[in-house]
Amino acid sequence: MENRPPQIDLNEVVVKYRPVVSFKVKKSLGAQTPDWEDVVNEVITQVIEKVKKGEFRGDSSIGTYIYTITSRRIVDHIRQKTKVLRSVPEPAPLPDPCENAENRERARILAEAVQRLKPKFKEVLNLYYYQELTRDEVAERLGISPRRVSERLNYAQRLLRKIIKP
Amino acid sequence: MRKCLFADQIDDYLLNRLEGEAREQYEEHYFNCPSCFRQMEERDALVSTIKSRGAWIFKERATGQREWVPAWKRALSSFTPRQWATVGVAAAALLLVVFGVLPQFRDSSPRFVLVENDVARGTALTLMSPIIDVRAVPAFFEWKAVGQVAEYKISLYNGGLLWSATTKDSRIAIPEETRRQMLPGQRFAWQVRAFSSSGTLIAVSSKVQFQIEPAE
Repeated sequence: MENRPPQIDLNEVVVKYRPVVSFKVKKSLGAQTPDWEDVVNEVITQVIEKVKKGEFRGDSSIGTYIYTITSRRIVDHIRQKTKVLRSVPEPAPLPDPCENAENRERARILAEAVQRLKPKFKEVLNLYYYQELTRDEVAERLGISPRRVSERLNYAQRLLRKIIKP
Repeated sequence: MRKCLFADQIDDYLLNRLEGEAREQYEEHYFNCPSCFRQMEERDALVSTIKSRGAWIFKERATGQREWVPAWKRALSSFTPRQWATVGVAAAALLLVVFGVLPQFRDSSPRFVLVENDVARGTALTLMSPIIDVRAVPAFFEWKAVGQVAEYKISLYNGGLLWSATTKDSRIAIPEETRRQMLPGQRFAWQVRAFSSSGTLIAVSSKVQFQIEPAE
């Protein structure tokens, strides 16, 4: 007996997975890459088409299915870009002014919130995220246990959440 | 709420410490786990901000945002030994000037020695007779006695000092010789000073004037 494709609400899929796909694409290509949004749109279009054609059989979760499509599209995009770059250098990307303004404002608020933290929390954030020391290295530097480092990182993030969203 | 097994990999993923299969597994996971994805988005905002503005954030921390200490402690700790030595020398010089040099230029101390009419205590001394013009040359001077007084000194003036005497009573007779000098029509003044047993002036009366009316 042939497996019927599972019923998928495509609108829900788009709403739910666009941010996830966008994150993966930006992470892989870099947020400064001008055409990351094109890649995202291509992935979403591809997903919709495949689901409509019944290519999604439900062998895996829809998340895994979309992840696979996204990964392949990113690899294709990188290959295409490599070919283009070999022939003609691409012009420098133009930043999106609206997104940059929003991001800048968010980053400013977050940076101010980090500054308002107690020194012991800022120190851990500095060593772990800015200087990119490992948890063990941070622990050694501060003379505390790695577990304590994790606790401080988690607590710092909880405090930041409180400061930003009172 | 149970913690997702992949939650510990968020930082490693964002800091590019996950590679190969581990990275793919994590990515596939967050495509299927909305909770991990939300956490990762939030963490990514923090990491990106720290990456892009860390120099500013942590420079501020290093210079201006230390743990709070009182201003006086900060001021004290900011002095070097050489500065401390300078402060010590300056303080010593200031003390020398204030207590050693300036007194040399000060005016002389106030005079606390009592002269004739200065009174050590504010005891009132009231004259009784004569206090108005009289028709005849008075035979005596009379005043209200003051307690604790050892001696009264009476002075009679007629332009200058005409007569002076001391007594322990509150009344004194004017000698005949003096009375003869007190001519009618002339204006006189008299005053009494009271002294304690140690010789301290303790009360002075006002100087009362009187005239001996000329004979008609």
